[in-house]
Amino acid sequence: MNVMSFLSLIIKNPFRNRTRASLAIVGIAIGIATIVALGMVTGGLQASTQSTLKAGAAEISVAKIGSNTFGSSGGTIDESVAIDIKNISGVKDTAGILRATANVTSVTTTSSSSSNFGPMGFSVSGIDSTKLSLVGIDSVNGTSFSNEGLNEIILGKSLAQNLNKTVGDSINLFGTDFKITGTYETGSFIQDMGAFISLSKLQNLTSNQNKVSTIVVKVNDNANVTQVSQTIQNTYPNDLSATTAADQANRINQSLGVINTASWAISLLAIIIGGIGVINTMIMSVFERTREIGVLKAVGWKSSRILAMILGESIVLTLVAAVIGIILGVVGVEIILNLLSSTGSVIKPVLSLDTLLRAFGVALLVGVIGGLYPAYRASKLAPTEALRYE
Amino acid sequence: MNEEENIIEIKDLKKSYDNGKIKALNGIDLVVKKGEFISIMGPSGSGKSTLLNMIGALDRADEGSIGVAGIDLMESRDLSKFRSKEIGFVFQMHNLIPNLNVLENVEIPMFETSLSSKEMRRRALELLGAVGLADRVDQNPTKLSGGERQRVAIARALVNKPSIILADEPTGALDSKTGDIILKLLKDLHTKEQVTLVMVTHEPYVAQMADRILNVLDGKINEQKKDESDLSVILKKFKQKA
Repeated sequence: MNVMSFLSLIIKNPFRNRTRASLAIVGIAIGIATIVALGMVTGGLQASTQSTLKAGAAEISVAKIGSNTFGSSGGTIDESVAIDIKNISGVKDTAGILRATANVTSVTTTSSSSSNFGPMGFSVSGIDSTKLSLVGIDSVNGTSFSNEGLNEIILGKSLAQNLNKTVGDSINLFGTDFKITGTYETGSFIQDMGAFISLSKLQNLTSNQNKVSTIVVKVNDNANVTQVSQTIQNTYPNDLSATTAADQANRINQSLGVINTASWAISLLAIIIGGIGVINTMIMSVFERTREIGVLKAVGWKSSRILAMILGESIVLTLVAAVIGIILGVVGVEIILNLLSSTGSVIKPVLSLDTLLRAFGVALLVGVIGGLYPAYRASKLAPTEALRYE
Repeated sequence: MNEEENIIEIKDLKKSYDNGKIKALNGIDLVVKKGEFISIMGPSGSGKSTLLNMIGALDRADEGSIGVAGIDLMESRDLSKFRSKEIGFVFQMHNLIPNLNVLENVEIPMFETSLSSKEMRRRALELLGAVGLADRVDQNPTKLSGGERQRVAIARALVNKPSIILADEPTGALDSKTGDIILKLLKDLHTKEQVTLVMVTHEPYVAQMADRILNVLDGKINEQKKDESDLSVILKKFKQKA
């Protein structure tokens, strides 16, 4: 048997009826594009979650009971608690963070570029600038803000892009002009869509003197994070709740699991709908080529070769659809997220090998499921009946 | 009977359809010698195409025995291998694959062999040269005339060097001039390649070209006496009649 000649036949045959093949491909490609798009968004969120667990950052987050994970709403804690927690065994360092939501309504700029955006809210955190590493900011592009009462601010990379701001520009927050001294990137899309200023400055601007929203805790290298977290919890039983970064990541991952389940459900739907489409296409193709299949049998082709040919043609259709679907998915996600980025949502989509394998796996499965029955029928055609077919 | 000489041996072959209501073959006895040219004639529905299908292992008989090229077709399981190796079919409608070019159409039967693509190409080109289509190898069959398509079909039938060519009304869909060319080509290749040729036809003058003429009627064979004139005389007589 000549494999190349046979493969070339399998690749050529599905496109004999171009309209029908194109319609089948479009149907499957849309399913694949959805799988890829969801996979990329989930991947981006997962990567962002992973970055919250990065080395150097605090492992425990302490907030008032009833406030949300990021401490941006709910009660405040007295700043002195951060010093008390630092004295607990196993704790290496702590940092109090005050969080507030700022609305940008007017912007002044020293650069030539002008900004044109509507009112926009984002999270501003106040922290001691020497403790930025505890929130995952290892380096600042430019310089960090001063703790000495100057109106200085550093912006997350995504926020800076959205606001069309760069180092040296100014930004008006809480009725005060701040000079942007630097930008940072942590990989966490929530963090990178925020800004940091000195803790005392934010406390003054929001009338929260000596108060913080969250205390982040870095433990000693040899300490057990869960145990330290439990000790903090036991020290302030009815007042504070301590959450480890791993717990937070797990919670986010559970939410991502919902998206992942939806992605699998769409995969299943794509398999069913795509499979039916392929069955229809291939059955029509077999009907039209009944006489031809009779000829192939007459010249000595085995039933297994005819089965392989029709199945191969079905797989070719779905693999072409997979390639088109992946391109559609990637381009679609980029376009949609670019549009959404102007409203403040910045997820960095990640095209992982897992997503690609799933796309091709689904396409292959659709090809096999959709092609199996028509291929079986073709292989079982009686040569004399097939040759008589008009 | 000399087994080495006989390429087809059929004894009391029966085949019926529609739960026995239609008796297509009703006790056929036939022996064909290697290298012979046999014509099978008969009215529509007489069973001549069924007989051809039995010889070509496209269908199985209900009763009797049939041996072709030393293979017992009543017992053999792998009939596709037999067809690939021993039989070359030429149909009334050429039955070429429209999306393949002439060369690829001729290569199709060799897919079940162990030949390299180079050898497949060489054989196909050689045969296309023999049927006068060396300059049309890259053409799509839809661009060819009826006669040219039938020549491609003949090349396809011969490409696996079969022992027997089974031609089912090969000129039935052609005009008389083209038909004559195809018949002459078949006859020449039969002589040159020393291949046994069994041809079903409606046309008495076409049947006259064969070594023997068999008449099939109601599923049974009667051997007919052949006009001993040579081919050119037969064709001339036919044209005068027309």
